[in-house]
Amino acid sequence: MTRTTSRPTTICSELPGRLHQLLLCRGLMTLVPALRGRFFAGALLLATAPMTHAAIAPIQTGFADDEILVTLPKLPTPSSITDVSQRTVDELADEIQQDIADARGQGDPRFLGYAERLLDALPDERMTDRLRVLKATWLQSLHRFDDARAELETVLNNPDAQRRNRIQALLTLANQEAVQGHYDKAAAACDRLMATYSGLIAQSAVALVQARTGHADTAYQSLQRALEGQPRTGPVARAWVEGTLGDLAAQLGLPAAEQHWRKTLQLDPTDLYSRAAYVDWLIQRQRYSEALALTKGYEKVDPLAVARTIALTAAGLPEARAMTDRMNERFREARWRGNLLHKRDYARYLLDIAGDPEEALVWARKNWVTQREPLDTRLLLRAALAAGDQDTLQATRDWLAGHHQQDARYPERQP
Amino acid sequence: MTQPNRWLFVLVAMLASCPVWAHKSSDSFIYLDQRTPGATTLRVDMALRDLALVVALDRNGDQQVSGAELRQARSAITRYFGQGIQLASAGGSCHLNGLAWGLSHHSDGPYAAARYAIDCPNGEPASSLTYTLLFDVDPQHRGLVQQRTAQGEQLAVVGPDQPTLTLTQSQPSLLSTFAAYLQQGIIHLLLGYDHILFLLVLVLPSSLPRPSSTEAQGERRLGRRLLELTGIVTSFTLAHSVTLALSALNVIRPPSALIETLIALSIAVTAINVFWPVLGRRHWRLAFGFGLIHGFGFASVLADLTSGTSQKVLALAGFNSGVEIGQLMVLGVIFPLLYWLGNRPLYQRAAVPLMALAVTLISLYWVLQRAPGIWA
Repeated sequence: MTRTTSRPTTICSELPGRLHQLLLCRGLMTLVPALRGRFFAGALLLATAPMTHAAIAPIQTGFADDEILVTLPKLPTPSSITDVSQRTVDELADEIQQDIADARGQGDPRFLGYAERLLDALPDERMTDRLRVLKATWLQSLHRFDDARAELETVLNNPDAQRRNRIQALLTLANQEAVQGHYDKAAAACDRLMATYSGLIAQSAVALVQARTGHADTAYQSLQRALEGQPRTGPVARAWVEGTLGDLAAQLGLPAAEQHWRKTLQLDPTDLYSRAAYVDWLIQRQRYSEALALTKGYEKVDPLAVARTIALTAAGLPEARAMTDRMNERFREARWRGNLLHKRDYARYLLDIAGDPEEALVWARKNWVTQREPLDTRLLLRAALAAGDQDTLQATRDWLAGHHQQDARYPERQP
Repeated sequence: MTQPNRWLFVLVAMLASCPVWAHKSSDSFIYLDQRTPGATTLRVDMALRDLALVVALDRNGDQQVSGAELRQARSAITRYFGQGIQLASAGGSCHLNGLAWGLSHHSDGPYAAARYAIDCPNGEPASSLTYTLLFDVDPQHRGLVQQRTAQGEQLAVVGPDQPTLTLTQSQPSLLSTFAAYLQQGIIHLLLGYDHILFLLVLVLPSSLPRPSSTEAQGERRLGRRLLELTGIVTSFTLAHSVTLALSALNVIRPPSALIETLIALSIAVTAINVFWPVLGRRHWRLAFGFGLIHGFGFASVLADLTSGTSQKVLALAGFNSGVEIGQLMVLGVIFPLLYWLGNRPLYQRAAVPLMALAVTLISLYWVLQRAPGIWA
């Protein structure tokens, strides 16, 4: 259940301060129109400096007819866009659910946009509990946690809500509260979930909250026993529970974490969360070649791409440079767009690739406002240590102590 | 364990399978280049992945887009671009005339790219840009806009909530126009080696003691030198101001290759004149005569800068003042140095002839380099 996350798409106005466009110096007779506003001596120096801004990619016309330019995923058809009012709410819910699943499984946020188009087209009177739960999941993906909570409360406050919708709403709520570090609220949602739907999924949710609040050992052992006690568990639930076990084992510093993550990925290779946690664990142990094997083919998924760049660099491989350039460009574009959705990834990039601990701390702190999973906390602690920010270190450790949370992945564990 | 419903498990799987820890979001790139007044261009790059939603790119349905398929879709793509991108000025909508079309790449893969010349009513600059492509299909799509003007670069974002961007006007204030051209004048003089070399060989003789000189007092000598220098600088300034103005205001416009060659020749002749005063010792006359030629040289640079500017006279005044300031800066460094060296025998016998020789050779080389352009 540690696994919601996705990024807000607020358009903020933090535009990167770009370098003034510089000169094309055709010999010394050429003028430099872009240099207005600069002192002439600066102009003379800059005339010989290399171009430091990102050049605009050229327009190519010489591509071959038989060259495959791009492979497309399965896309919604344009005709399905216009006829929302003609379709039943269940058909629409199925399509929204598929879009959200595609967004998560492929790590492609475009599918969230396609889901939004359908949700936007639905008037309030056509909203059902199932659609509200889906909308809450979609809102979580955009980091609009308060809006997501409101949708879920609406479902949970509906006395006529169907059981399956209540279960899904409670699970989604417990998940969100745990991710945000609201462990009391998460525990309350878990209790309600157990009362409605006791089983491995609910036990897994309970174990996670216990582990984050000082009982990692007990939680790990009881969840493991519960899984062993139910050999007929289906692959989806089993992958889910194994993923949670991997997380708890890593929190405890147990080597068994690796086995759990391997099982998870075997059952569900699209579990990008477990993959990223596993890769991080390998990098921490300097097992770079394994980290590279796990991230191969996932270069488009930000946390895995950042991890891959770190592993390539640490292993001293020649591809590191090109990959770093690509990451620089990707985050430059993300800053331009303004919705720094991937705050954690950006902070990690700043800390471990760009080597800017102060700026990394700024973003790690922003990320930690809404997300407090161990990997978020670990990054905040590392950035604060690197930047030498004692106040942030102390505040974070106070928060952890308040919840009795300990984690083997944190740098400099509590005395 | 109860099995409520299958879709619950799908959702559990969704929770499990993480964040939309995405690739890059869906963004188009819009580059508006207004650096040259009257020659605004617009470029739009849209991901093939996004275009495939609205234009039939994958004709054979194999989930892949080939080079041939992209070429076949060209007219459909440009039609689609045309209906969702509008530029307008105070006088109404602007026309987009296609200049180039093809493929480009951003951090997440291939994009279709098109560049247009922008033609607004009455030649006004575009004052707004509206972008609405793809928003009906993907409300998370954004247009990332880069606007470049002579003053610099600005980045902005357009989205479904705010599809129109008000463009900052590139028409600067009078003071900033004057200041901008003043700086251009300074930069041009300092970066234009040939003007500096010309000034050097022009003032070189006045740093040497005259053979006929009877002056003994350093102070009086310095006073005379300064007077001579002022005469040279003033006549050079007057002369090039006249031709710069005539040319900038389109009264006379000699071909620039001819002027460039004559400028190089003028430097050579002035340098030779240091050893053999074929043109006499009245250097202010030399400065005036050749100043007329150098003025045309400044004018061709200024013309490149001011095409389409309505504030030509102001630009001219600023640029010319800049050239003077640059000139005084150069002399402020060169002259005290030469004056200080002036009485040393080594300087008189070796350094001056060497400098004059080097300048002669360099400028003759420029003559050879530039002369073919006259007939080109």
